[in-house]
Amino acid sequence: MARRPRARKRNAPRAKKRRNRSPHYSPFSTWWNQVNAAISFSLRRLWYNPISTWITLAAIAIALSLPAALHLMVKNMQTLTDDNQQIPTISVFLKQHISTDQAKDRGELISELSEVVTVLFVSKENALNKFKRLSGFAETLETLEENPLPHALVVTPNLRIMNDTKLTNLIRTLKSYPEVDAVQSDNEWMQRLRAIMDIAERVILVVSVLLALTVLLVVGNTIRLDIENRKEEIDVARFIGATRSYIRQPFIFGGLWYGFFGGILSLVIVHFSIFFLIAPTNRLSTLYGTQFNISGLDFSTSFYILIASGLLGIVGAWIAVTSHLRRREITF
Amino acid sequence: MIEFKQISKKYPTGQLALYNVNLTLQKGEMAFLTGHSGAGKSTLLRLIAGLEQPSDGTLMIEKTDVGKLKTKQIPLYRRRIGMIFQDHHLLADRSVFDNVALPLRITGLHHRDIRRRVHAALDKVSLLNKEKQNPMMLSAGEKQRVGIARAVVNKPKIILADEPTGNLDPELAQDIMYTFKQFNDLGATILVASHDHHLIEHMRKRIIVLQKVNV
Repeated sequence: MARRPRARKRNAPRAKKRRNRSPHYSPFSTWWNQVNAAISFSLRRLWYNPISTWITLAAIAIALSLPAALHLMVKNMQTLTDDNQQIPTISVFLKQHISTDQAKDRGELISELSEVVTVLFVSKENALNKFKRLSGFAETLETLEENPLPHALVVTPNLRIMNDTKLTNLIRTLKSYPEVDAVQSDNEWMQRLRAIMDIAERVILVVSVLLALTVLLVVGNTIRLDIENRKEEIDVARFIGATRSYIRQPFIFGGLWYGFFGGILSLVIVHFSIFFLIAPTNRLSTLYGTQFNISGLDFSTSFYILIASGLLGIVGAWIAVTSHLRRREITF
Repeated sequence: MIEFKQISKKYPTGQLALYNVNLTLQKGEMAFLTGHSGAGKSTLLRLIAGLEQPSDGTLMIEKTDVGKLKTKQIPLYRRRIGMIFQDHHLLADRSVFDNVALPLRITGLHHRDIRRRVHAALDKVSLLNKEKQNPMMLSAGEKQRVGIARAVVNKPKIILADEPTGNLDPELAQDIMYTFKQFNDLGATILVASHDHHLIEHMRKRIIVLQKVNV
């Protein structure tokens, strides 16, 4: 019983010292506490202003989804012209009077050319049967006295050594044979489509830059309005010792959230759009007798869109808050 | 602690607010600043708070030449000073707790320490039971005490008050002055600008009278 008061007395100064000690923080923990506060504050601002938040996010999402959708469209069309997936062939139509043996002989000679990989002989009978099957005019074609179609050779060029000049030379060589009536290359329309794709890619680049500027303006204007609403708070904070970076932080995070969540919303819009296009695209490709599967945004593209949208949000917010801090002095 | 050496302040509009002021306040001193309207009381306090730069002369605060502070150093300097205004400048969309916590959040304290210090500051001004209230719901005297709590929560060595009792009835004004005296007793240097002569004389502290500059 006698010991207790003595023990309390001995510990009392230490306890008092502990109570009065002001906390010491490393620069990192100070910065981290400020960042934590800015993150939670900026998220709360978004959460408690749902109408303005959703309007801003929708504007950003639409602006971002347009270039993303155009990019996707071009990417899907590029699969049609992709040499690795669809090998271009040359159709060589022989003259009407050329016999089957003559046609096969010419086919063998062509297959010996170094620029050629394979030659497929399509007899006029096979061609007619296929035409009857695909065209739907079978009954009409039955009434013909003789087969109007010629024998044909389907030539597959060697793509490893082939370029546009060599392909043109090969077509010229094929045309020069006496048995040959006409030569048609699948590559021509692909080259045209590829040229259109090149233009489309540039259009997308221009549209992307313009819409990125739109995102900057939308975020910048939203943050500017937020700054206007919080002018007094900024003044008070500056007056009691807030640095410029401390004042910037919640606005920069606000811009980041607008950009990032706007990016997520744009991905949702793009994927929903693809979902609506799958059925009609499949129907169209069936009508053309091909199989074409529309592909969506892959993981890396989605990731880049989110990074880009987040960065645009940060830059927009940075411009708005920095211009405000440069302009305005404490007014009280 | 606070030393004015031939300080003059001229605003860009050409108005001369202070001319050739020489003044010294010792560490732990409490003083009242008085004078007619336009004599430069607020300007003098704003110079100490780092809100204005002197046009001429040297202003030393705890061995810091305020006139030579770089832009980046000013926010850190301001954290060393607590200032109270007549119209409080409290944030209407925050609770009393959040208003008082603002200087500590700016300093980057952990929320545990913020809670502890805010409670201590509110306790000193007898407003601990109002921490969750909106400042707009408080009386003028209570608002002023919230302003005082915000000014002292960072434990500044210098406390400045610009007409802190201007809107208060005499009884509340005296309460506020006694609150300042308590902080002075704890070692803070306090400078209060006021034109309430009766109240100032009642406090029996040093009185500095500023004369209006006639140019």
